Order: sequence, then C-alpha cells, then structure tokens
Amino acid sequence: MILTPEKDQNLLKSIVEFSYAEYGSALEMLAAAKRAKSPKLKIGYIKHALDEYRHTFLLHKVLSNQVKKGKWKFEREFKFSPQNVLLKGYVDKDGYLVEKLALKKFVEFVYSNEYLAKSSFDWLTKQITDSESIKTLKRIMDDEQHHADDSQETLESIMKDELVHHGMAKKFYEAKFPESKLNKAFKRELFKNKLRTFYYKNLKFLNKIFDPILNFFITCFGRIVNLIVIPVPSDKNLMAKDPKSIL
Amino acid sequence: MYFLGISSYYHDSSVALIDANGKLIDFKKEEWLSRIKGDKSFPRLALIELINSFELSEKNLSSIIFYEKPVRAWVTVLKHSVKNNPISNNLTRNYFKNAWNSSMRFQMDISKHLNLKKIPLLYSDHHLSHTLSTNFYYNKLPCVSVVVDGYGDKFCTSIHHIKSKDEIINIWNSEYPHSLGLFYSAITDYLGFAVNEGEYKMMGLASFGKPEYYEQLKKTIYFKDDNLIVDTKYYDYVRRTDRSYSDELVKLLKIKPREPDIPLEIGKSNFENYANIASSAQKVLEEILFDVFKLAHKLTNEKIFLFSGGVAMNSSAVMKCSKLNFINELNIPPSPGDSGAAIGAAFFGFLKSNQPQQNDQQSNPLIENLFPGKLKSEESFYEIPFEKISDSQNSIEETSKVISNDEIVATCYGNIETGPRALGHRSLICNAHNNSLIKKLSTEIKNRSLFRPTAPAILKENADKYFILEKNLMNSYFHMAAVATPKKDFADRITGVIHADNTSRVQICLEDQLLGKILKKLENKNIFLLANTSFNISSDPMVYDKEDAYLAIERMGIKYLLTENGLYKKK
Repeated sequence: MILTPEKDQNLLKSIVEFSYAEYGSALEMLAAAKRAKSPKLKIGYIKHALDEYRHTFLLHKVLSNQVKKGKWKFEREFKFSPQNVLLKGYVDKDGYLVEKLALKKFVEFVYSNEYLAKSSFDWLTKQITDSESIKTLKRIMDDEQHHADDSQETLESIMKDELVHHGMAKKFYEAKFPESKLNKAFKRELFKNKLRTFYYKNLKFLNKIFDPILNFFITCFGRIVNLIVIPVPSDKNLMAKDPKSIL
Repeated sequence: MYFLGISSYYHDSSVALIDANGKLIDFKKEEWLSRIKGDKSFPRLALIELINSFELSEKNLSSIIFYEKPVRAWVTVLKHSVKNNPISNNLTRNYFKNAWNSSMRFQMDISKHLNLKKIPLLYSDHHLSHTLSTNFYYNKLPCVSVVVDGYGDKFCTSIHHIKSKDEIINIWNSEYPHSLGLFYSAITDYLGFAVNEGEYKMMGLASFGKPEYYEQLKKTIYFKDDNLIVDTKYYDYVRRTDRSYSDELVKLLKIKPREPDIPLEIGKSNFENYANIASSAQKVLEEILFDVFKLAHKLTNEKIFLFSGGVAMNSSAVMKCSKLNFINELNIPPSPGDSGAAIGAAFFGFLKSNQPQQNDQQSNPLIENLFPGKLKSEESFYEIPFEKISDSQNSIEETSKVISNDEIVATCYGNIETGPRALGHRSLICNAHNNSLIKKLSTEIKNRSLFRPTAPAILKENADKYFILEKNLMNSYFHMAAVATPKKDFADRITGVIHADNTSRVQICLEDQLLGKILKKLENKNIFLLANTSFNISSDPMVYDKEDAYLAIERMGIKYLLTENGLYKKK
C-alpha cells in the first residue's frame, strides 16, 4: 500500500491515486497468495486481495459520482489503465514484495501500510465531508433530493475493511513474531511515504529545471539521429539477413 | 536443445519455447502472471517460470531470439518525430525519455536471468516474427504472408513471399507513419475506448451503425498506386502521446469525440453517431485490406494466404477478406498480435539452426498447439471454499447436467489458450439456446456493454447445420479468428450468440477437446451450442492459475468451477 494524498491537489486526482494504490495492494496480496503454502493463509491473502479489488472499484464509483455532478470534468488521465500501477510505482516492476522480502519484512510492510492506509482514508473521508468542493456537491445533492451519491458511505465501508485488514495484519504479526517491535518499520514506511509525497509535490518544479536541459539534448541528439541511415539490405530474403544485427 | 523467443516493451510481453524438433513446448504471456492486463514490461515472471520448469541455462539453450531489431524500432519513430515536429513536441520528448524503457534495454534485462556470454542472442525482424508465428502453424508452401499491425521495426504493413523455410522474400512494405493499424486505433481513441485494448469493442460497435462517415474517413487514409497513405494532418499519433486523433479530424467528422466516462448504451444519445463512425472506419479498414490482399496476389500469384499482426484479430474483416475470389486458404495464427510474435521469434531461431522439423504427417500443428505448456498449479486449498461434486472421471457428465439446468460454469482446465480468445480452458460457458442466461452472463457477470457479442462453440459435425462456413477459413474457426453467418432455419434458436450484423464468431470444436466432450454429452439434452466467453473480469487478464480462478469466482459470483481434477461448487 503506497499512498500520496496531498491537501492542495485536486481531490479527484487523489481519488485516482488511491484507486491505483488499492489496485497495487490487490496485486501484492494475490502474489502473496500464490506463494503461500498453507491453504488457510492462501485463502486469507485472496480474501484480502478481494477487498482491495473491491475498493478499487468503489473508488472509481466515487470518482464517477463526483464527475456526474458536473462540478469536475473527467480528464483522460482519470481513466483507469492497469499498466499505470507499474508506471506510477505502486507495484515495482522488478518484483512483488513477497518475492523480495523475507516473511517477517513482508508482514511488517503489510501491517504498517495498513495502518498508514487507515489514516489516509481517514484523511480522504474528511476531505469528502469538509472540502469546499464537497460542500458544493452536497448542495447539488440536496437540490436533487436523491441519495445517488454514496461517496461518504462507500468510503466508510472501505474504512471498515481497512480496519479489519489492519487488525488481522497486527494479529498475524504478533502471533508469528511475538518478540519483535514494529516502531522501526512504521517509521521507515512513513518516511518513504513522505518522500514520495515530496517528490510528486515538486515534480512540476523539477520539470521546469530539467525540461530545457532535455530540449538541449534532443536538439543535439536529433541532429545525430537524422544522420543515422537504416541500412536497406540488397538481399530481400529476410532469412539471409544478419540475425545478430540490432539495426 | 531449446530456442527461446521473447516479445516485449510495446504491448503484451510474452515468451515462447521451441524444442530441437521444432515443437512449441511452452508459451506464456507476462500479463497472466503479473495480473496486469496488457503488461508490456520485460516478461520477467514468465521467463522465470520457463527457466524453472525446463531448467534453462547455457547447457540446453541453443539461442535466445528477440522479436524485433531494437535500435531500428526506436530510431525510426524518433527520426520521423525529430524531422516533422518542433523539438519541444510531446512525442519526441517521450521517445527520448523512454529510451531506457524501450526494447533497447533488452540485452540488459535478459542478462539478469541467463548467461549471454555462452548463449547466442539473435534478433528477428518484427514483421518476419509475425510471418513465422503464422507459418509455424500452417506449413503449406509456397504461400504469401500479409502482416498488418500498428508499427514494428520500421514498417506498418508487409507482404512476404514464403518460397521455402529459408527463403522468405520481403516484397512490399508500408513504412511508418502510414499505418492501417494506427488509423484504426486512432478512431478507437476517438470513440473513447483505450488504444491497444478497445479495438475489438469498436469492431462490435461497428455492426450497429451505417458507414455515413466513410467518405470523410476515406480522405484521411487511402491506397493509391500500390501505396498506403495516411494524411497525418488528421492523426496526432505522430505528434502526441496522449491522443491519437487531431483537431482536424474532429472538424472533419463534426462529432465531438466521446469522453471515456460516458456510458455507451444502445438507443441513448449519440450512440448512433458513434456507431456510424465505427462502421465507417471498419469499412475503410476492410477496403484497404482488400487492396493489400489484391496486391499480394498480384505480386506473388499465390493463393494460400497467411494473415497476422494486430489487425488480423478483426474477425469481421477476416471473413470479408476470405471472400476474395483468388484466396484458396486464409490462415490466421491463434495469437496474431505482438505476443504471438514470440513464437515466430523462437521459430526463427530454430530455422536458423538448420535442424529438420519433425512433422508427423497425421498431425495438425494448429490443433496440437492451441494449449501448449506446463502449468504448475495445485488446488488442494479448494477444499475450504468449494464442495467437490465430481471427480475428474465424471466431471464432463456432471458439467453437462449443470449446464442443461441453465447454470453458468467457469473453467480453469489444464493449460491456458495461446491467443486472446477463450477456447474452453479459461472460459465461462452456458447453454447458448437460452438468451436471457447469455444476457446475464454478458452484462451482469462480465459487466460488458450490450453491443458486445458473445461467441458460440459447436461440434465440428454440427457446424455446417447451423452456420454458413467459408471453406477457405476452416482453420480459423478452431480458434475464433473469423465470424460466420448463422443459417436462417436455426437462427431463431440461438439469437443470444448472433451479433447485430447477423454474424457469430463461432468456435468449432473437436470431440476430444474439452468443449467438444461437453457438447457431445449435451446432444441428448437437445443442446447443440455453448455460449463461450473468456474467464476474466473486464480490465483483468484471463484467469491463469487456480488462485486466479478462485478470486474471479468470488468477484463474479459464479457457483461452478470445472478443473482437470473435477467439478466444484462454491460452498
């Protein structure tokens, strides 16, 4: 679970990020299920994955509900694309956590991140209730006299699941590693989360610095690229071409 | 010794393994293991599974073959972009930035898993990999291969004359950016579907419309003097990364592009307009395909055709192309897109090794290789969530009983299908004579739009009775590569599996295949067709192993699951 909520960011963008985070967790849990030997543990991981998949779906529903109210425009980047879970770093392309971490570290990770997820959803629920956008949304909802928008309810149901996950992870961890302390793991995950938030907050600023440098390189390299002539072999037989050539 | 083919970095990464006799031993798509649909990253998990299953190392690997020439692929688009766009252009910048994630890093990625100092690394041409992926299944020579895809290496469309296994002549190409595949993807984008994913949705939508925008679209892409021309003024795939069509196309069509979040429902606002655009694009695609096939025949005089590349997945166009009077056979591989190209790459390595291919005259390489591979998967944990209602000996009989009681059965049976179509081993099946059940399967369980068809499966011996089949497409019906027209006398019995354009993407089954066995048992219950759709949730890859199957059962709310070990019912 990796969350990067930002108060000053568009709420919808945060919901999109939350949905990818939940999707990433679902994939991590499924990967863990596939490697678990005990049938009970396998089922446990799958049930956890099921909840995370459901949350992804529910967050899309929240997003869709917000857009339907007409206050926000659905931007193309909001469209769910499974591969973004890799591009955004919610799943590491070099391997699922369960592949890379020892069981203790993996459970520590799940436990501490479920805790962070719980607090992040708490934050999101507050945003939905208190932010100016939601007030507007509430007004529209009152006008319509319908209860179509169940964003608050949906988020609360997700919260319940997260509490269960957190509780389960804690129970499992304490049973498996009774003498261990989690403080270090909490601090580590919190620090990593803050670092990610810092990175995304400053991405635009970083781009402003690096874009001119990139343009300079493209200008120079572009000239070189234009000089590259891809050879056209005289022999039209494709089976006779050099199979070691990368051109 | 083995030959390892790899396709990666563009879409649907995969690995394929061919042995010293030229037999396909295994094939895996990365998305099956990573569970990320369309996963295009280096096929790490798939490769690790192959390495573990076959103990691959320098001792038994003859060569590793990548499916394209990596530098040529990257340089071609970059050169075009640098030449035609301002330097701050999105596409140029994106290409430059993503060089490190492109096929240029293949050697580095593969070297983490296998010792390249001791195993030769070869590179096939992208379109040659497609041609060989088809030739692997259909070995009647000489013949002509037509490859039509978005873009690969340098070319978008190719005609290859296969004179013998070591003489494959490149006789015609259409270079980037003149691409029929990218045109179709751009219109897919216009209609609010995801590029490289929603093309089949657009094909389904096309049947509901009339080609009212045909003349306009024909101005943007045409075939003239044996050349395919795309007027890139109308298409932003040469300029942008976030959109494939340009404002000029919007002005030309005078219809606002569909926002992806707006539901597309039959009868609702703008459905007709979007269906008409889809129908027009489909017509343009088909007519240009006719031109390419005619040119292929003119240049080679061959009558046996192989057809591959992403566009060959357009089953509706395939049926129409087969009606061209000079085509005696039109053969499509089970996996015509880039993932299947890994099979072509592995076959390239095998052919380069000059080893004789051992072909049993009695066997059919297509039928034999529909479900290749080794799947290590165990289901002992099923005793917790399921009740086993039948063992493997009686499971077919029990499954037929369940189906005759109008229940939906999921299958996770042995090895998975090679291609994108579910052929029974990873399927959701039900009685195809029950329309309301099919509607429930399609809309409630799979959450698909009503404009998307559900396919029927039928025994070979009954297929002629229900459908008008094209003789030159017979091979394609074994893996749902082409549509067929239902016969009038029986059409009213199977309306749930007939699409709006009065066609069905029929799958013909043999009696010794899983669906064939079930259909045989169902005959005495007067059920002759099964409705068959892939066992996955929209936006997920096909179910791969037993854990995925259980997860999907829970998410979809299905009761029955058939595996090679028996029939299960959810507790």
